[in-house]
Amino acid sequence: MDLPLVFDSQLATQLFVNGLTLGSLYALIALGYSMVYGILKLLNFAHGDVYMVGAFIGYAILNGLGGPISPTIAVAPLIVLMFLGAMLGSGALGVVIERFAYRPLRDAPRIAPLISALGVSFFLENSVLLLLGAQFRTYNSFLLGSDHPKQFIPGPLSDAVFVVNGVNVQLVQILVLATALGLMVALTLLVARTQIGKAMRATAFDREAAAMMGIDVDRVIAVTFFLGSLLAGAAGVMFGLLFSQVYHLMGFTAGLKGFTAAVVGGIGSIPGAMLGGVLVGLAEAYATGYFGGRWSDLIVFGILIFVLLVRPSGLLGTRAIQKV
Amino acid sequence: MSGHALLELRGVDKAFGGLRVVSDLDLRIGEGEIVSVIGPNGAGKTTVFNLVSGLYRPDAGDILLDDRSVVGLPPHEITKRGIARTFQTLRLFLNMTVKENVMAVQYGRTKSTPLESVLRLPRARREEREMSRIAEEKLAFFGQRLIGYRWDQPAYSLSYANRRRLEIARATATEPRIILLDEPAAGMNPVETHEMTELIGRLRDEGGHTILVIEHDMHVVEGISDRVVALDHGVKIAEGSFNEVAIDPRVVEAYLGLRQADTK
Amino acid sequence: MGPGGDIPNRPVPPDERGRPRVGVDEWVAQVEERREARTGLTGLVTRFVSAVPPAGRLAVFGAAAATLPFWMNRGDLFTYGIFTLLYILLGLGLNIVVGYAGLLDLGYVAFFGFGAYFYAELSSPQYGIHWPSAASIPVVVVATALLGLVLGIPSRRLLGDYLAIVTLFFGQAFVVFVNVGNPTVAGKGLTGGPNGLAEIDPLDVFGYELTTRTQQFYLMLIACLVLLTGLHFLSESRTGRAWRALREDPLAAETMTIPVKRLKLMAFAFGAGIAGLAGCIFATLLTAVSSGNFDVPILITIYAVVILGGLGSLTGVVLGAIVINVSFQFLAPENPPGNARLLFYAITLLLLALGVRPWWRLGAILAGVVGLGVATQTFVEAVAPGWTGGPVVDGGRLAGAISQWVVIPPAGHGRFGSFAYVGLVVAILVLTRLRGWIRTAALVPVVYLAALVWENSFVEQPAVARWILFGSLLIVLMTIRPQGLLGTPRVEVA
Repeated sequence: MDLPLVFDSQLATQLFVNGLTLGSLYALIALGYSMVYGILKLLNFAHGDVYMVGAFIGYAILNGLGGPISPTIAVAPLIVLMFLGAMLGSGALGVVIERFAYRPLRDAPRIAPLISALGVSFFLENSVLLLLGAQFRTYNSFLLGSDHPKQFIPGPLSDAVFVVNGVNVQLVQILVLATALGLMVALTLLVARTQIGKAMRATAFDREAAAMMGIDVDRVIAVTFFLGSLLAGAAGVMFGLLFSQVYHLMGFTAGLKGFTAAVVGGIGSIPGAMLGGVLVGLAEAYATGYFGGRWSDLIVFGILIFVLLVRPSGLLGTRAIQKV
Repeated sequence: MSGHALLELRGVDKAFGGLRVVSDLDLRIGEGEIVSVIGPNGAGKTTVFNLVSGLYRPDAGDILLDDRSVVGLPPHEITKRGIARTFQTLRLFLNMTVKENVMAVQYGRTKSTPLESVLRLPRARREEREMSRIAEEKLAFFGQRLIGYRWDQPAYSLSYANRRRLEIARATATEPRIILLDEPAAGMNPVETHEMTELIGRLRDEGGHTILVIEHDMHVVEGISDRVVALDHGVKIAEGSFNEVAIDPRVVEAYLGLRQADTK
Repeated sequence: MGPGGDIPNRPVPPDERGRPRVGVDEWVAQVEERREARTGLTGLVTRFVSAVPPAGRLAVFGAAAATLPFWMNRGDLFTYGIFTLLYILLGLGLNIVVGYAGLLDLGYVAFFGFGAYFYAELSSPQYGIHWPSAASIPVVVVATALLGLVLGIPSRRLLGDYLAIVTLFFGQAFVVFVNVGNPTVAGKGLTGGPNGLAEIDPLDVFGYELTTRTQQFYLMLIACLVLLTGLHFLSESRTGRAWRALREDPLAAETMTIPVKRLKLMAFAFGAGIAGLAGCIFATLLTAVSSGNFDVPILITIYAVVILGGLGSLTGVVLGAIVINVSFQFLAPENPPGNARLLFYAITLLLLALGVRPWWRLGAILAGVVGLGVATQTFVEAVAPGWTGGPVVDGGRLAGAISQWVVIPPAGHGRFGSFAYVGLVVAILVLTRLRGWIRTAALVPVVYLAALVWENSFVEQPAVARWILFGSLLIVLMTIRPQGLLGTPRVEVA
């Protein structure tokens, strides 16, 4: 494959746009990892699969309402419905997972919830495989709202909103970016301003002390899982809209990327997860653009390992103090 | 305290992010002495232990064991040279048996390689027997408290007081010249506290260990100490016999917070 | 830490179930009670294990395993015998890293893969190198151990979860490297990409090629027995105790003459070396390697082997490998569904027998399940006859009974199985929340629903079913007995 070795500002800008979109998606996944880790010190390996389920819920809603080519309702409310359904469904799934797979293990050795999380991940992936089969399900999002399915006239989602010097910014990219940004702002406000946000921060800081102070820790943890999973569900629909296809193993890779983002940014830190997500998205986009797709994953993982070795607590994380 | 010092701290400083926890501390402990370190909470006592055992590195100053600096050595190396410690918060190997706890810490004294162990070559077997013998001997030091049937029980099944005893047994199994005991009587009832006082004396008289001990219980301090060092805010404020230190106005002030500036 | 700092003694909140929390004094006081309390099958196994000394256990295992070739056919010897031994080997290596030293190594499977690929490079037509096993196995084992040492380097700085992350990514990087990376070396793709490497030379013992499954089985059995013995000795040596000490409390170990960093590296190297050995054997057994054999599912399987039996227990690894591999092979796609069905009903019965006391209650449940089945079948036949009479997949002698008992719609009702499955999952989750006699009563429909799901969807996709069941097993095991079957309850006081 011919690699564009000469710096090309148009390509670089295009990759920046793609990377930013992808990165905002990763950031949403990373937030779930980070919030859960911050509060439970648990690496929730099942998170990627919650995202996958979210994508499938979006797909189900899309198909239930007539499919992408001739939807029974207008495109805008359809997309809103897809997002809402996926977010609520994933959020509920996250709460159920926490209740049955993690809560009984609060005081167990550290390895137990980790293994349980891997079990949940296997369970979800293969349940979807059992129910829906292994084939890729297509969102056909670029045809969304098109009246002429046979002529393959792309629907409004793939319209370029800006074309500057040949750099294409599609409506769907704007949609994804804006939604992700909105969700992140909402989350930040929720954590910083509301009662439950304060309770979450207190619980993350010291669970037992929070419980002593009358905070219902179980409820706070459930809310954390709900919020984290809700963001992952939104990310799942975004993936479907952006790349048109969803399948039962999509959660694993995306989960790893989101996880990388959370760790690079500093696991447990909310702004860190956002920063990490954007960095990983950009890294992947540029790696794909300049070195070819086959190396992009290795480069992303390499960045993670490098960051961890240089700054074990991530870019925005605070170093845990070891007590003697 | 004249003459040869087994352990010596010279002008040791330690700060955590601007907060000076130990400043310019000098301390000399002679062979065979029992020295108590007292002071209110936050005086820097445990930090001194962490500095001596190598968990922290001093910002300035030197720590000498037998006139050789141990600063910068990894903790396991310092223990091998003869400084063992216990922990205020009890850090036993909880899921290992009582005897294994005492055997594990003889790692530094033994030499057989993993290959020798896998093949049970003569040296590995000899060392195993020796570790087992030493462990039993160290545990037997505690008489009925840690005897026989408890040896194969996991350490977590021990009572609080027995855990403290096991920590001391574990420290002695490294064959140290000096043992640092961090609040050995904390959380014990009066009978157990009394036993601990006797035990510390026996550790010196029968075990031949020099002892540096942090203790809050003044009865224990009075009962065991050849010498008492009082710290406050990381500064040595008094040193001498128990009776001298106990009436020192600065010590009284440090503990009670009375303003006695006029009398100073 | 702060000045003079120690962990403050926090008041300890009681456990959710009203029991004292692990480690507090009340809990300590009940140690004996808990030990007495262990009954049922696990109690039986535990008592057997503690009554028989390690040498006896090894002899029992060795003797029982040695008879396999006499009564198993070649295919079964391969899938049940040889693969169980392979899992034992892999489990033993992981047990050193995770069980003894307590290092969460999620890149372990990459060492297995590295060993297999490296052996393949040295003994296959890929580069025309054909080293004898006696030369290539030691080279591969040492090289893998060195790789383990290199990967262990971050473990000197990284703690707990961060180590898990870095090693997990190392494992992923390995898979991506051999599968997609496949750099060109000496005019050829080094790793053969998705196709992997093939035509690997068979195992040879100083020129004598072991080509039959029986020969390979015995060689592996010997390797396992030798390794089990050696590792038992190692575990009861200064090194083994030092590993366990650093697992319990690295800081205390470090201040007690144990060079923690060096021992961590050693654990990584030993574990990796054993995984490398397993890789060599795997490559010769399959005579081909490809990246799919070294991905996350296999990693989790090895973890399950080690965890099921109990972390840190050699007997546990053997037991875990047998249980996991045998149930996996029963659910393999090649295996006739009839076998998997037998396993399913047998395990359901066994679980009920273990979990439900006294016997009359068990009897009532079983009668209830049978009755419910017949009633449902009759009802559905009367109301919607189109929903019954579907074919029983590979029913054998049971086909008649099953078709009278479980509703199996014929083709064209594809969604039925899916709804039943979702219903079963929900029902089981609800069941875990119920208490007392309601729970016992609720068992009846749940068991029936499970049979319904089995006959309608699992039986057609055993490979999928096995991963679903495997995932559920991990969750259930962790919730009920995180220390594994033979492990003693672990205590972690933060």
